[in-house]
Amino acid sequence: MIRIVDLRKQYGRLAAVDGLNIEVSEGEIFGFLGPNGAGKTTTIRVMMGILKATSGQVILGGHDIEREPEQAKAIAGFIPDRPFIYEKLSAKEFLIFIGKLRRMDSARLQRRIAELLEHLELLDWQDELVEGFSHGMKQRLVLCAALVHEPRILVVDEPMVGMDPKGARTLKDLFRSLARAGTAIFLSTHSISVAQEVCHRIGIIQKGHLIASGTMADLHRLTRAQDRNLEDVFLELTRQQDDLAVIERDRQL
Amino acid sequence: MTSVLLLLSPTWLSWKNEFRRGGDRWGRRSFLFALSIGFWIGTFYVIRRVLTYFQSVHELGPALAYQLLLIVLLTFLSMLLFSNLITALSAFFLARDLDLIMSTPLSQDLFYYSRLIITTANSSWMVLFFSLPIFAAYGAVFGGGILFYLWVILCLPLFLIIPASFGVLVTHLFVYFLPAKRVRDILFFVGLFAFIVIYFLFRLSQPERLVRPESFGHFVQFLTAMETPSSPYLPSSWSAEILAGTLFQRSTDQGFYYALMASYALFFPLATSWISSAVYLDGWSKAQESRQGRRKLEWLDRVIFLVTRPFSPVVQAVMVKDIKTFMRDATQWSQVFLLVALVVVYLYNFKVLPLDRSPMPAETIRIVVSFANLALVGFVLSAVAMRFAFPAVSLEGKAFWLLQTAPISLKSLLWSKFWLNLLPLLLIGELLVFASNLMLRVPAWMMMLSLVTVFAMTFGITAICVGVGAIYPRFAYDHVAEISTSFGGAICMIFSIGFIGLTVMVEAWPIYLLASQSLRSGETQTVTPWLIAPSLLTAFALAVVAVVVPIRKALGSLEAMKD
Repeated sequence: MIRIVDLRKQYGRLAAVDGLNIEVSEGEIFGFLGPNGAGKTTTIRVMMGILKATSGQVILGGHDIEREPEQAKAIAGFIPDRPFIYEKLSAKEFLIFIGKLRRMDSARLQRRIAELLEHLELLDWQDELVEGFSHGMKQRLVLCAALVHEPRILVVDEPMVGMDPKGARTLKDLFRSLARAGTAIFLSTHSISVAQEVCHRIGIIQKGHLIASGTMADLHRLTRAQDRNLEDVFLELTRQQDDLAVIERDRQL
Repeated sequence: MTSVLLLLSPTWLSWKNEFRRGGDRWGRRSFLFALSIGFWIGTFYVIRRVLTYFQSVHELGPALAYQLLLIVLLTFLSMLLFSNLITALSAFFLARDLDLIMSTPLSQDLFYYSRLIITTANSSWMVLFFSLPIFAAYGAVFGGGILFYLWVILCLPLFLIIPASFGVLVTHLFVYFLPAKRVRDILFFVGLFAFIVIYFLFRLSQPERLVRPESFGHFVQFLTAMETPSSPYLPSSWSAEILAGTLFQRSTDQGFYYALMASYALFFPLATSWISSAVYLDGWSKAQESRQGRRKLEWLDRVIFLVTRPFSPVVQAVMVKDIKTFMRDATQWSQVFLLVALVVVYLYNFKVLPLDRSPMPAETIRIVVSFANLALVGFVLSAVAMRFAFPAVSLEGKAFWLLQTAPISLKSLLWSKFWLNLLPLLLIGELLVFASNLMLRVPAWMMMLSLVTVFAMTFGITAICVGVGAIYPRFAYDHVAEISTSFGGAICMIFSIGFIGLTVMVEAWPIYLLASQSLRSGETQTVTPWLIAPSLLTAFALAVVAVVVPIRKALGSLEAMKD
């Protein structure tokens, strides 16, 4: 459902993402882990057609994001790390706007809005202006906007930031149920516990390179640490890469 | 079409919601509405008087009115060009909703046309607002009738869309072609480009021709020149031709000029849409990359440190932060270009003033013009202060809590804003008054009086703007320009103009006596200090009040925020 092929994105001389290859199937939740500045958000922005790749391809549901952007975006939903919502619109007005942008017919749109607002406990707030919402409520509204058109692909950047435990639990349950219904989810996160809990496979990116990818078992095998949790595995893998970089630099010197 | 309307819906829905749920803002709205109506009536009255006077000038009247119309339209065109360049950059490449919109399956054409409409509306409403009483005055004086207003309604949309699409086109090309790594570099070029265009547009209008009929040799030649546009290839001249045809019953081919305007109004948006679809994504991607990183200029850091050194460490820290933020925020410093254009045009006007053609003795007219210049410099300073000093506290934005929770008194904060804005304003004010007085060749005492008055006036203007800006802060804003166009902005402008008016009034009497003396004798023989000193002292006292009262009120208002 999602194919990232030899993706490279360069900012001037700095390669933020370099030679990235990832595939995510239908109904799979792929966790995208990495330290700050590793290239996670850049990858996601290229995936959604917000940034242009220097080279390589992103294919969503068989559509190349650069060659067929409208078709590719039509089947995808996106939750950015710092979402923008029109503050002077009400929650319902905002969702109607997004639904119409995605060419949904009115009846279906109204049904979906009611379902989502109910599910994410925003129904009582539907006619209130967004400017009066708390951080968590805004996040839930952005989630509604990403799901309103029932996307086959969901791309999520740091979903749990600022969420209370109840909200976080609702979100994790929602991801699982979406995956069961066949949605491919690409989940970028800092939160190792979230990745460990909900993701079928995990990719670890560091300095623009995918340094490891696979199921939890695969990652344990890689670090030869069967009894350790994902946090230890993550730290071990990123440390190994740092060590390798130091050795390489010393060798060149 | 439906989709373009859909893309515009957040804007008008936001307006609608803001309007309906405004609550306690009705008082402010009524005040602003009354102010607008007052402004319209005032503008209409002044322009009507000027035009009525023109009309009374035998044979030359319509030609003068036509030239004025040309200059007004040319001014509008240049304002539109500049504001469209900045607005297009913001709407197409920097708006906060771009990520949201671009992640949806939207065709490039729909996106382009919706943003073009937003750009046109945002950058043109003010010109539209200012132009209506002017057109109404022309219609009233020259009796254009219903046909004139019909032409105005037909011409205005075309007149607005041409510079808007041209601005969008130039912005696209700048963002795409310039090897700029930062949006501020692009804004630098946009500003520079706009400045050059505006300068040339003004030079093309050659307003000084109006007062030098002898340069034409013969009256018929002069009249012909006055009835001909000096820049026939600009939409402003085409619009003037169309409107003049009805107003002055001139034999103009209105159909031809309208077709010319319509063809450009169709061609530019269409051509720009082709270019946009070819270069937009690359340009936008580049604009986002340019948000990363910055050049570190150590020498600049050292200069800022040295300039702010005389202040206490806490005030210095706030000032350094403000200066750096200002220089790194392209939406703020790009306004400096507008300021430079204003200063250049201002000084140029003094250069071409035909003082020697006046029936009064040269010295008298020099004193009178120099005195009037005091008020003008005051207005320029208050316009600049509205842009930079008034938003000073609001610019703390959502980070204001940092200062509220820091061990810094609000008094120190306000004074830091005051001093930071005062120094550049003093420089501009003194430079303007010194340069214009130099061009006017005023006597030494007038030069001294002007410099000292502007010195005192700048203190008052800065404090009024910083103070009222703190009393009506606007911490949540989308664009910095919103802050000065708020309700508080209108209040600030009224106080500022009132203060300038009072200062000028207290000096009017001694200047009148001295000017009368020179009128009788040809020059001012003696300038006794007792004649000027009381007025100057009163002006200083006024400045002290203008500094103390707003800052004290602002302090009270900021303290009350804690409640």
